[in-house]
Amino acid sequence: MEVDQERSSLFRHQRSLDQPLGSIITFLLPAVTVYLAFTAFPVIRTLFNSFHRVLPGKAALFIGWDNYISVFVKDDIFLRAVKNTITWACLSPVLEVSLALLLALALYAKIPGARFFRIAWFTPVLMSYVVVGIIWIWIYNYDWGAVNVLLRGLGLAEWVKAWLGNPKTALWSLIFVTTWMWTGFNMVVLLAALHSLPSEVLEAGELDNCGWFKKLWFIVIPMVRPTILNLLVLSFVGKMKVFDLVWITTKGGPLWATETVATYVYKRAFEWSTFDLGYASTVASIWFVIILSGVLLLTWLFRQREKLEY
Amino acid sequence: MSVAQRLKQVAFLILLSFYTAFVAGPLFWVTTMSLRTTTEIAHNPYALPETFHFEKFYKAWVNSNYNVYFTNSVIIVLSAVAILTLIGGMAGHCFARYRFRFRRFLYFMIFSTIIFPPQITIIALFQILVEYGLYNSRIGLILVYVAFQLPVTVYILESFFARIPSDLYDAARMDGYSEWSIFFKVSLPVALPALSTTVILNTILLWNEFLYAVVLIVDEAKRTLPLGIQQFMGDHLEDVGMIASGLMIAIVPVVIIYVFFSEKLIQGMTAGAVK
Repeated sequence: MEVDQERSSLFRHQRSLDQPLGSIITFLLPAVTVYLAFTAFPVIRTLFNSFHRVLPGKAALFIGWDNYISVFVKDDIFLRAVKNTITWACLSPVLEVSLALLLALALYAKIPGARFFRIAWFTPVLMSYVVVGIIWIWIYNYDWGAVNVLLRGLGLAEWVKAWLGNPKTALWSLIFVTTWMWTGFNMVVLLAALHSLPSEVLEAGELDNCGWFKKLWFIVIPMVRPTILNLLVLSFVGKMKVFDLVWITTKGGPLWATETVATYVYKRAFEWSTFDLGYASTVASIWFVIILSGVLLLTWLFRQREKLEY
Repeated sequence: MSVAQRLKQVAFLILLSFYTAFVAGPLFWVTTMSLRTTTEIAHNPYALPETFHFEKFYKAWVNSNYNVYFTNSVIIVLSAVAILTLIGGMAGHCFARYRFRFRRFLYFMIFSTIIFPPQITIIALFQILVEYGLYNSRIGLILVYVAFQLPVTVYILESFFARIPSDLYDAARMDGYSEWSIFFKVSLPVALPALSTTVILNTILLWNEFLYAVVLIVDEAKRTLPLGIQQFMGDHLEDVGMIASGLMIAIVPVVIIYVFFSEKLIQGMTAGAVK
């Protein structure tokens, strides 16, 4: 009995050494406080807002599913924004990753100056979207932008247009910009994945005299598959949130051709003088649920148990 | 190396050089424009600078308020990064070192916010900051930035701390170190490479941040660089030369960091994407 007690107190002492609850709490407290105050609470409050009319200086008025019904039934601009964003989020990952894979393979073939190339390609993602946006406004400029200057120089003057001012080309022009920006990033990641592959496998493919495409399709892609899937999801999520670039270049125009859900939420909340934060919160909440389900669906499709980043 | 291989290599080299020119061209172009006057640019946008107009930077800095924007950006980014490193390090250390109830749950909750769109928090953050008098203040923006970058920071640091052999901690404990001195004298020094990765990564990402700043800051005197540039662009749409100089003021610090820490930065940006 006595021994038992002694042992249990000893054991308790041991436990408190392994799990010093006081220290654990103090270590976590600042991070958890910031998380609760500036992430968790705002998310909950936005969800709460979405069922209310929220006017400045007044208590939130409960209106049930009214906002949700208006968003889905009456709001054509929202549907347009969804269409644009989904187009962007589905096209970009494929463009970026496939282009990146081809270029990474070219670089993998022991090209001199590999280090320089890697560093150069990575630069665009380090720039602010504000910087990138302004540069590309100029590149797409009708009179003196590089694109039109090039087209005139090549004698293709009939193709010249105001790329961002034309509703038919604006969205594609912006998708082109994000591809310019992010392909290098994807390539650097893929290159790292390729370098971590055992070189014997690729050499074996060489010996078996596999064709170039066969080697790519049957050996390289399956082996870097996890990386490819991660990059696709990463790019998808990034484009579902895209705001800065659109805001700097077109503000969603012309005629809602480049409106994304993110810019629409911003407009409804802070630009249009409707003063009702509830409606914008509803749009944000719907989009939040769609992004989460999109990511879950993609991970489920890829049967990818690993954690997702960004 | 056979002739065929050599040829293939040259072909690849040409392809890659084209791509590099395509990537670097716009950045090079904006650099040349930042050193030329708007009149020169209007005459020929694609010429190289004949005389380097460095005085344009002085003009932007003093007459167009870029000194204010730059200082604000530096203050806000450095404070946020300092807080992030400390509290992110503490949390990462705690998640990696101790086994306690709700550990996985808490970690998952913080980590999962990595994929949240900022729109889900921004409207309520605006309300909350207004209610607590933190709207349109640097402190408010700093706190929001800390929350915004916390998941990535905790993720990178936790995975590094978890790889530190526990023998090291046991030895420190034998020597009578308290939990806090273990954190400061063992964990942090050993994790210096991971800490520097998060510091550099957070600095760059927050330096470039636009959405939270545009919603939460209104005063001219509190604007960060991206906001200041956007404002300047709106007011002086035609003054391409001066806008380009302003862009360079935002780009140069990033380029300097990148020159010295390129590998670190690539590591940080791609953390987790390679699996």
